[in-house]
This record gives sequence, C-alpha cells and structure tokens, in this order.
Amino acid sequence: MNINKAINERELIIALEGRLDTATAPELEAKLNQSLNGIEKLVFDFAALDYLSSAGLRVLLSAQKTMNKQGKMIVRNVNETISEIFEVTGFSNILTIE
Amino acid sequence: MKNKKQKISGIFRQWLLVLVIVAFLATTVFLWVFQTQLSKNNAVQLLSLNISDVKEDIIDASDKNLLKLSYQIADELNKSENINSELLAELTQKYDVTEINCVNNAGIIIASTYPYFLNYDMRSGVQSAEFMVLLSGEKEYVQSYQPVSYDASISRKYGGVVLENGGFVQVGYGAERFQKDIDEFVIGVTHNRHVGENGSIIIVDEKGNIISDRYGNEGQNIGVTGICFDTSEVPERQNFTAKVYGESCFCMHQVTEGYHIFAVMPKIEAALSRNVSVCITTIMQLIVFASLFIVIFYLVKRLVVDNIYRVNESLSDITAGNLNTTVDVRSSIEFDALSNDINATVNTLKKYISEAEARIDAELAFAKAIQHSALPSVFPPYPNRNEFEISAAMYTAKEVGGDFYDFYFVDEDTLAFLVADVSGKGIPAAMFMMTSKTLLKSYAESGMDIEQVFTTANEKLCESNDAGMFVTVWMGFLDTKTGMISFVNAGHNPPVIKHIDGSVTTLKSRANFVLAGMEGIRYSKNEYQLEKGDVIYLYTDGVTEAMDIQNELYGESRLLDVLQKIENLDTRGICDEIKNDVDSFVGEVPQFDDITMLCFKFNGEGEAE
Repeated sequence: MNINKAINERELIIALEGRLDTATAPELEAKLNQSLNGIEKLVFDFAALDYLSSAGLRVLLSAQKTMNKQGKMIVRNVNETISEIFEVTGFSNILTIE
Repeated sequence: MKNKKQKISGIFRQWLLVLVIVAFLATTVFLWVFQTQLSKNNAVQLLSLNISDVKEDIIDASDKNLLKLSYQIADELNKSENINSELLAELTQKYDVTEINCVNNAGIIIASTYPYFLNYDMRSGVQSAEFMVLLSGEKEYVQSYQPVSYDASISRKYGGVVLENGGFVQVGYGAERFQKDIDEFVIGVTHNRHVGENGSIIIVDEKGNIISDRYGNEGQNIGVTGICFDTSEVPERQNFTAKVYGESCFCMHQVTEGYHIFAVMPKIEAALSRNVSVCITTIMQLIVFASLFIVIFYLVKRLVVDNIYRVNESLSDITAGNLNTTVDVRSSIEFDALSNDINATVNTLKKYISEAEARIDAELAFAKAIQHSALPSVFPPYPNRNEFEISAAMYTAKEVGGDFYDFYFVDEDTLAFLVADVSGKGIPAAMFMMTSKTLLKSYAESGMDIEQVFTTANEKLCESNDAGMFVTVWMGFLDTKTGMISFVNAGHNPPVIKHIDGSVTTLKSRANFVLAGMEGIRYSKNEYQLEKGDVIYLYTDGVTEAMDIQNELYGESRLLDVLQKIENLDTRGICDEIKNDVDSFVGEVPQFDDITMLCFKFNGEGEAE
C-alpha cells in the first residue's frame, strides 16, 4: 500500500493506494498519529484503494473519533466495493462520505 | 548529517597524505638547513686551508730573504776586527736594513745602529728574548714581522746569526724593505692559485693596495674588488661575507709579514654541492614517501577497510532477518575474534528467539483452546428439540483471532444465535471477543429486548476500549414455535437463507453501526419470518475473503452458488460442504483469517415430539 500525504495549513489529505488490511493498517495508524496534531480537516482519498478490511476500518474509526474532537473528517472517491463495506458495517452512518 | 560522514579509507587517506607531506617538508627543510651549514663549513675550511698555504709560502720567502742578508752582514762582521757603530751604520747603508745589533755571549747589546740600544739586555723583552736560543746552540733564528719589544707601535722583522767570535748579530727591517724583495714572489703566489673552482686569493699591503690578484688589479686599492678594508671589524681567520667582483662570497683574511691575505669563494659555488645533494635526496624522499603512502594505504585498506565491509555485508544480512548468516572474516586475529563474537551473539539471539517463539506459540495455543472451550461445542446441542437443527464451526487461522459464534435459549421458546467478528487479531482481539460474548449473553439472558441488548452492550464495551477495537455482530432471537426472527445486524455480513425450494437469498437489512465503535448508538431490529424447511447460514468474512494463490477472493457469489447446489444435507453437512469448497478454492494458500459459520434449519412446530 502507498500512503500519499499532502498538508495544506490545517488541512491534511491522505490518498491511499492498494489494500488497507491487517498488514498495512498499522503503518497508516502510525502516520496518522504523527500528523493529526493541529489538523482541522482530514480528507481521505480512496480513489486508488482496492480493499478495506476490518483492521482498516478500525484505523478510520479511530481517526474519526480524533477528528470529532478537533474538526471534521471526509472520505472521498469511494469505489463500489468499499462503499458496500461501509454499508454492511454501518460505517456509512458515522463517516462523511462525499 | 549523512553527507558529512566519510569513509574510513577516505579519512585515512587524507591524514596519511597530510602526514607524509609534513614529514617530507620537514625532512627537506632539515636537509636544506643541514646541507647549507655543511657547505658553508666546507667553504670556510677551504678558505682557511688556502690562507694557511699562502701564509706559509710568504713567511718562507720572507725568512729566507732576511737570513740571506743576515749571513752576508755576519760575514762582514766576522772579517772586521773592530765592530763599532760606524761599521754598523755603513753595513746598514750597504744592505738597506733598518737596524743591526751585536749581542755578546751574555745577551747584552754591545754595538747597535741605535746608540741607546747599547747595554740593552735581550732577555728583558719577550720579543728580543726569543733570540737567546742563538746562545744555546742554534746557528740562526728568524722572527715573523711583529711589534718590537721596546716600542709596540713599531713592527719589524728580525733575523739573527751566530758570530764566529761569540755572540750573534741581529738584523731588523721594516715591511716596505723586505716586501720590495719578495713582492715579485708574492704576485706569483695568487696567480695560479684557485680556491675551489672560482674562488681566489687577494693579497694587499698594510695600506690596502693590492699586491697580487688573479684579475690583474695590482696597485689599486682593495676597494675595487668590493671588499671593505676594515679588518678591525672582522678578526683574522673568521669568515665574513662580501660582494667580490659583484658576486656574493664567503671571505676570510689573515695578516702575515705585513701582508693582508684575503681568500674569497663565491657562495654559489659553496651552495652547488648543497643544491645537488638536496636535489638528489629530495627525489629519493619523494620516491620513499610515495611508496610508503601507497603501501600503508593499500595495507590498511586491505587489512582493515575491506574486512570491515565484509563484516558489514554479513551484518546487514543478519539485520535483514537472516540469522543463519555467519560472519567469516579470518584474515587477522582481531577480525577472527570479531567474527567469532558476532557469530556467538547471533547464535545466542537465535536461541532466545526460538525459546521465545516456542513460549509464545504455547501461549497462543493455550489462548486458542480457551477461546474454543468458551463456544458451544456439543452437537446436536438440544437433542430433544426437533423443531430446529443447529450446527456451528470455527476454523481458526494460525494466529489467534476474534471470531465467535454462540447460541442459547433466553426463555423457553426463544433461541438466541449469533456470529461475530472482532476487528484485528491476536491476544487483544481474543480478549475483546470474550468480553463481547459474555456481555451479549448476560444481557440477552436478563430478558432484555434484542435492541436493548445491543444498545447496552455497546455502551458497556465503549467504556473500556482504549485500543479502539470494535466487533461486528449478527444476532437473532428466534421464536421456535413460529419461526419469527427478530435480529440486529451491527455491521456484519448479512446471512444467507436457503429456502425449501432451493433458492437462496441474502437477508438484507439496514445495517447498524458496529458494536463498541462509538458511544450513544441506537440499534434497531428487523424481523423475518422463517418458513418450514428454511435454512439460515451465518458466517464471518473469513469465508468470503478467503484468498487463492492469485489473491482472488472467494466472494459472496461462490458462497451463494455452493449453497444453492447443496441438496438434502443437514446443517452439519452444509457447514462441512462450504468449508470443503473454500478449502479447494484456496488450495495451498495458508488460511489468513478465522473462518466461522453457523447454520440453522427451521423444521416447524409440526415436527416437534
């Protein structure tokens, strides 16, 4: 998985490529822990994300909880497979998906 | 930071180069100074030797000249019967000398050209006393040109010859007198004499006029050569430098017989030997130091740097995880010891790792056993209930996971059954699974409504969930009399229903959010009426996300297909068949996730008892 980070003042955009699963989720979690400080808007771009497992969902949930305290979080360009995962797991209820 | 670091060989080469250059310069400078001193000493020695030679020649010539006169005068005196002042004055005139004294056997002057010398005791002056040797057996005696005993301001040269009638005659004259006789000789002295290659001798008289000079400047003042004639400043026989005929020279002078002998030697000539020897040794040094540099650099590179690289290669292999790599650099005792130490360290590490692995494996196996024992494992679980049939199975992956299934009666006719999947893996997931399972069961058994069970369990699980874990659950309450299911889906895969006519459908419903994900979630239930013969199949994503060697997922459609094909099998058989199908799909790929399934068949009340 590739994680591309772009910071624009208080806005952080993270574009993910590949699979976000048990093997790669810890890397994303570590990156988020480093960079969320002072961020008011967090945007995930899932255009190139192929697969999302429950470990990945856990990282998204934890990011959402953090951003609830300091701003907002948006998930963008969600493909059909992942959209279905969000639907099934009820994550579509708590995430802001554009 | 990284850019500032240098290779050992680079640092070593730099310092070695600096060292070699410094050593080379130091030895060259030392050699230069030493050779300069040496060449100067040689030049001075050469000057001194030449001056001594010339001096000897002049004294020799001067002595001979005076003795010849003295013998002639002594002959005249021996012939005459009466020696008196008149005779002496006559002889003085005849031989053009300044002074003639006759001394008796007692050393007293008995006749002299100077009347006031009469009765002078020769012993009373240091200079005159030297002539006393003529009274003790010597036939002749000659003194160098020097100040006389009775008046130090007058210099004279004296010679003495024994007289036949006892006593001796002493003849004296001034420098101009004898120089007239020997000048011709003195001129010849310098003409064929070379000091070194280009050095020469210059002889001047007391007034500073050149008597003899290789360049033919006789008669002129010494000033024309460039030497400043002030000998009082430089003692005799001590070297000084001056420009002679326009060339910087080492010079030395000596006074003898009223002559000043100057020996000069061009500095360039003196320096020539130094330049040649410094040049040769510098070239030798260049060769020696350059080869020293190359040899030392090559040795250090070969013995140390290359070996460090070899050790590093092995080490990076070890660091990359290949603990079976050994370091094998044996070129020296030190590297041999280093290799042994590293290998020993790696072996110890390997031992600890395998011990730790064994311990962890044992603990994981134990955790798995606990996990399994918490799940209902006796099938059929309710042999006296014929209105339904239930089977479940959990196939764990190597690592302990967070899947579970459960079923129990919450009252006489209500069967609760569920399948759940905790996010993540390992011991934390297993522990979270146990908590979730216990909470759900205790709330369900307390008689709560199914929505309430979820809402309450969610609050409870959120309270102590620092790790941010969550669990997806599908749970249903089934009225065993009517086949009506009330269910809540908290983020789980929807189950599949296989109808009596063989058709399969997924039990879609509006998904609730996962359990333990966020506080304050309200869960809503759905209802579904099972018909007699309907089979409901619950599973975790371990089934649909099983992967084959091409990373292809098993997927929901394969599951539906296989369920559709199954005919006349009991719930146990359905579970086994699906597991077999998944297994044949994945082939050799190791199972990555837990595979958990629960199969329930509603037989209807009519079948009961």
